Amino acid sequence: MMDLLSQVVANGILLGGLYAVMAFGLALVWGVLNIVNLAHGAFIMLGGYLAWHLYYIVGLDPFLGLPITAVVMFALGYVVQRGLLNLIVRGPMFNSLLITFGLEVVLTYCAQLAFSADFRAINPVYAGHSVSIGTVVIPVVRLAAFAVALALTVGMWTFLLQTRLGRAIRATAQNLVAARLYGVEPRHLYAVTFGLGIALAGVSGALYGTVSQINPYIGASLTAKSFAISIIGGLDNPLGVLVGGLFLGIVESLTTLYIGPTYADVASFGILVLVLVVRPSGLLGKAA
Amino acid sequence: MKPWRSKPWRIAALVLALAAAAGVPWYGSDVLIQFGINALLLAVLAQGWNIIGGYTGYPSFGNSVFYGLGGYGVGIAMVKWGLPFAAGLAFGVALAVIFALTLGVLVLRLRGHYFAIATLALSQVMAAIVSNVPLADRNIGLVLPPLNNDPFFYELALGLLVAATLCIYVITRSRFGFGLIAIRENEESAAVMGVNTTLYKVLAFTLSGIFSALAGGIHAYWITFLDPDSAFDISLNVKMIIMAVFGGPGTVFGPLVGAFFLSAVSEFLSSEITSIAGLFFGLVIVAAVVLMPRGLADAIRNMHPLGWRYFASNVRAHRL
Amino acid sequence: MSALLEVRHATRRFAGLIAVNDVSFTLDDGEILGVIGPNGAGKTTLVSLVSGTLAPSEGEILLGGRRIDRLPAFRRAHLGIGRTFQIMHPFPGLSVLDNVTVGALFGPGRAHIGLAQSRSEALACLEFVGMGAVANRRADQLSGPGRKRLELAKALAMQPKVLLCDEVMAGLNSVEVDEVIAIIRKIRDRGIAVLVIEHVIRAITGLSDRLLVLHHGEKIADGAPDEVLASPAVIEAYLGKRRA
Repeated sequence: MMDLLSQVVANGILLGGLYAVMAFGLALVWGVLNIVNLAHGAFIMLGGYLAWHLYYIVGLDPFLGLPITAVVMFALGYVVQRGLLNLIVRGPMFNSLLITFGLEVVLTYCAQLAFSADFRAINPVYAGHSVSIGTVVIPVVRLAAFAVALALTVGMWTFLLQTRLGRAIRATAQNLVAARLYGVEPRHLYAVTFGLGIALAGVSGALYGTVSQINPYIGASLTAKSFAISIIGGLDNPLGVLVGGLFLGIVESLTTLYIGPTYADVASFGILVLVLVVRPSGLLGKAA
Repeated sequence: MKPWRSKPWRIAALVLALAAAAGVPWYGSDVLIQFGINALLLAVLAQGWNIIGGYTGYPSFGNSVFYGLGGYGVGIAMVKWGLPFAAGLAFGVALAVIFALTLGVLVLRLRGHYFAIATLALSQVMAAIVSNVPLADRNIGLVLPPLNNDPFFYELALGLLVAATLCIYVITRSRFGFGLIAIRENEESAAVMGVNTTLYKVLAFTLSGIFSALAGGIHAYWITFLDPDSAFDISLNVKMIIMAVFGGPGTVFGPLVGAFFLSAVSEFLSSEITSIAGLFFGLVIVAAVVLMPRGLADAIRNMHPLGWRYFASNVRAHRL
Repeated sequence: MSALLEVRHATRRFAGLIAVNDVSFTLDDGEILGVIGPNGAGKTTLVSLVSGTLAPSEGEILLGGRRIDRLPAFRRAHLGIGRTFQIMHPFPGLSVLDNVTVGALFGPGRAHIGLAQSRSEALACLEFVGMGAVANRRADQLSGPGRKRLELAKALAMQPKVLLCDEVMAGLNSVEVDEVIAIIRKIRDRGIAVLVIEHVIRAITGLSDRLLVLHHGEKIADGAPDEVLASPAVIEAYLGKRRA
């Protein structure tokens, strides 16, 4: 019984790490730019397809190809922000919800047209291998994904807190004038931030493709999960997002085991509502 | 003032439009009637959302819950308890009211997008719970007694829309409406000036829920089938928001116009360019948010003096 | 006879910071009480405690002998507490007149009066502060001085017994300041007790019957303006440690 429990918790942790990476991009864009990106999941999906093509068409291992995925998705995000989202940034915040919803519809349809609705997965040759820690069996691919997730968390944290650009981005969250003081033009800064967020989404999509299946429609539920994690963890804090992701992963795994798979969603969203009502700034965010 | 803008003319025009709409079952094709029912119910949902989202400023993603509760109210009452349709509708409304009162107090404490997300999460929870409740036949779905009378449903839906629009009209001229708008414009200030913000918000939420529930009940009986996924479908909530916002939130006719316009566009696109209909819909939304963020009603009002510069001025005002 | 407004040992803490520390004072009928102090002294927080925007961590607040510190803001408004905000918060999408109408509709807590009557009462308040002419303009189109007066008109429409003014003179030139002083005197003549937070010393000393000085959240002086301004503690705290 303990064995089963440890296995489930381990699964939850691995999954949670991946969820956290998904949520980073969303939390970054939301916390800094005040843009609620309902298309976030669609970008995750696109990242997954990019990695799939890199592997099956070009032959590039999905993990080795992550930097390329990141760069391409960054460019995409930069263009979207600079060309489109910058146009509505000073309007009512609700508009960012609407426009990103429209964007989600467009992206999903384009993906469906380009890639068809079939499920695909990225299965590198080592996909079937696993390592055992005690009685817990961990697929190598999931472990690698988790390692990448951890690395990204640390990287993000360092970037935002230590580097000049990172601090400029955080300053922008406070106000635009401060950003100018850092010598960076706001439109460019906004585009860079969004690009970063989308790069993260794309990378998480590539990782997701190795541990699960992708198709054009996975965007919506992944966006919802990313939201839940961002809020539960707290928007200002990369560490909080990681904790939120792990928390959600474990809760989902446990719920699936002890109550039933259909209740996994109830659990995660129920907790989201609880957190919102009791402590809207999240578990680790700054208190209101 | 131009004669056709004066009040008597406007009322005459409205009555004429209403009569034309009511007459559709007689002169319209079956397809038109069905399109009409769908569009009318969507318009009711948009108007319902308008109360809590447009006037009070709380963008609710939970109205699909009320819709689902209304549908299941009718379904359970008619299928499990053998009650007539009207009783089913009443039951659905009762469920919606209970939900709005108990959970509304909790989530209405949240502002802006947090409220939106909380209601979104609630709707997911409700969908999952209902798919596990035996009374609702779990995931298999409920099948209601068929009533093959589209004109009946059409007139019912039209009547509901008229009621909803009238309700909003009355609200805008009442103390209650003033309070809601004050809450939307500046809630803290409204509280300090004596508005009982919690009470008003809950009332607005409940009222909006009642209309959504009635729409859900009518829809359920019309298509005679009910399952959790389609009853609590979150995309329905998104649709009603888009229609209300596209048409003009916080106005009496805006959501109505938005609902009909977008329904017509969507219908046209589906019949002409089936495969990329949805794609165009998304593009329309993106363009609308950039070019006419205050909705269609506002655009129409300002097109005359400003022309194309209206769009440019919107972009200039909101761009970084 | 007990004072109209009484604050007893009011304290307000935020995580780690004590914004208002054991402050007690009274405000009598028809009195104008000036509140001064350096930036961050806790003046606005104190006003928020009285108006109900914030709840006190400790202490009691009484209006006409009745405790109000546990009541929500809108109830206190019904009982007669009116306030203006330092950072002006009009209802942006509404006209100037409709802004004030909200106060007339919801402030007094008496039986519901109709929209039309509220509007005419609101217009009267606007004219009282000299803004009748701009009644139909959108509130967010007003200039700074106009917004300040709008705040006053909104508070007046609630028929308050106590009016809390938070820096209604900030950013005004001396002519505008004199106009606001005149309006506040008119308000007092109507029987409303006024608490005025200000930085403009000249204005507040001429206007106030009494002065209250806050520093780091604590009351350091309370009395007639001349005495208070001459006290060494006040000079040191407020005017700096400069020697002539």
